[in-house]
Amino acid sequence: MTAAERNPEPRNPLGIDGIEFIEYTTSQAQAFGALLQKMGFAAVARHRSREVMLYRQGSMNLIVNSHGAADPVPTVNAIALRVRDAAFAHQHSIDLGAWDMPTRASAMELHIPGIHGVGDSLLYFVDRYADFSIYDVDFIFESNIKNAKPPALAGLHWFGVVQAILPDRTADWLDFYESLFGFEVLPRGQYFGVLPKGTLLESPCHKFYLQLIEPPPGAEDVHWDEGLVRVGLGAPDVPKAVKTLQERGIVFVDNGAVQPSDKGALTQVYLGGVTFELVVSHLKP
Amino acid sequence: MDTITLAGPLEAKLKAVREAGFTQIMLNATDIVGHPDGEAAAVAAVRASGLRVTGFQVLRDFEGLSGTLHAYKVDVAKAMLDMCHALGSTVLLACSSVSPHASGKSEELVKDLRKLAMLAVPLNIRVAYEALSWGRHVNEFPQSWDIVAEADRSNLGLCIDSYHVIANQTDLELLEDIDPRKIFLVQLSDFLWQEVRSKEERIETARHSRVFPGEGVHSDKVAEITRKLDETGYRGDYSFEVFNDDYRQLPLPMVCERARRSVGWITGLVSRRSLPARRRA
Repeated sequence: MTAAERNPEPRNPLGIDGIEFIEYTTSQAQAFGALLQKMGFAAVARHRSREVMLYRQGSMNLIVNSHGAADPVPTVNAIALRVRDAAFAHQHSIDLGAWDMPTRASAMELHIPGIHGVGDSLLYFVDRYADFSIYDVDFIFESNIKNAKPPALAGLHWFGVVQAILPDRTADWLDFYESLFGFEVLPRGQYFGVLPKGTLLESPCHKFYLQLIEPPPGAEDVHWDEGLVRVGLGAPDVPKAVKTLQERGIVFVDNGAVQPSDKGALTQVYLGGVTFELVVSHLKP
Repeated sequence: MDTITLAGPLEAKLKAVREAGFTQIMLNATDIVGHPDGEAAAVAAVRASGLRVTGFQVLRDFEGLSGTLHAYKVDVAKAMLDMCHALGSTVLLACSSVSPHASGKSEELVKDLRKLAMLAVPLNIRVAYEALSWGRHVNEFPQSWDIVAEADRSNLGLCIDSYHVIANQTDLELLEDIDPRKIFLVQLSDFLWQEVRSKEERIETARHSRVFPGEGVHSDKVAEITRKLDETGYRGDYSFEVFNDDYRQLPLPMVCERARRSVGWITGLVSRRSLPARRRA
């Protein structure tokens, strides 16, 4: 037995255990709320003092933060990671060179530690997700049922988040996610969904993915910023999920290379810039 | 060109450099924080100049510290990175530490440079680590290369400064051991006497008496460094790192003209490299 085998590198140093919630910011909260409801999310709670709403669908928590939001386009602003110990995860990340989150930037009043992610986005660390809900502190539930969990349409669950990056930046961001969190790159060619491009990273808990996308060749004239651009929703049966969502009024892109298939589907662009991707997935969040 | 060579306010330096036909500028933090109208005005002047920012300098004595000193340097580094980002620069120059408080243990240096590189990732900045010839533990490029290679971070690479290479008489053959993709910046300069034996002499010469390539007495060495880097496949930026007290009291167009002549001298070297006789077998 070698020393390395006796003392394996911690594959999951922070004890990451999936996504606790995804946070969007937008100044058009009502229009986005209506879209989310078409997508199968239900508004279950509102923040006690801020313009912040909690939506749920199955295992997914989604927060819409309109508190002081200037940009109408709904933007993925934060990913909250479930971790073993939030304080440890935060300190560990800072020690390795992450930037601490600006104070009071969080949608929540409950102190949730976090760090800067790509662009203007944040990564939060949440450790109270098993017995105690972080939402109990900040939110008033619509029906006073604290664990309101509307069932998921067609088994929808978090699959991952797509991140746009600048040219030649893939290696930098791989270093970021690998060394801070223990993400691993999937071999080239192993893609999910309908948009086979970029680099896929698997979370150390095997419960979700990040997809890094550099601008495609020939896109030199396209304005391309770094940021979180889209969430991917997993569905065990994509055609069934597409049909269910179409019946609720969601329109999917259906032209050329991008059209609904057994592997995935992409919604049209809503509200000036928000899309959702469906990806065939049997993940158990 | 590098603003440290020129006297006067930032706007005058930018104007002189642009009018001399240069397309890039290496900036120093003091250009920005010393601007009479504040940092935002300095950033605006740089952006309005149309010059591409080659890099931003200089983070000193970052690696090898511990406790409060380390925390203090992290704060300094973050402020430098923020300024670098605001200027649209994608390279931050970090010099090897001269601090008597710094550890020389390579694992400590690797850990700290990884941290610096991590801080730089979200800001799209690459860290160019340079071996100062009077660095306490790291003073020659083979050492800085060992640390950068061990750290193995995409946005951590080297700055090679011809002055330090010549001052310490580092074996130029060792340039061939470096992955050219990991050299993020090359700074060229020469000086006017044969040797700089003591640390004090090296510091004094480096800070006050450098000249442009082609003006000094080590032209063959500067030429060899440039040629070797070119042969290994380096295709990144070159900048004139010329600290010179005389140049800082001469009219800017005159200094820029000397820099232009130096470019001509280097271009001559580069054009000759394509001759078969100059190619290595």
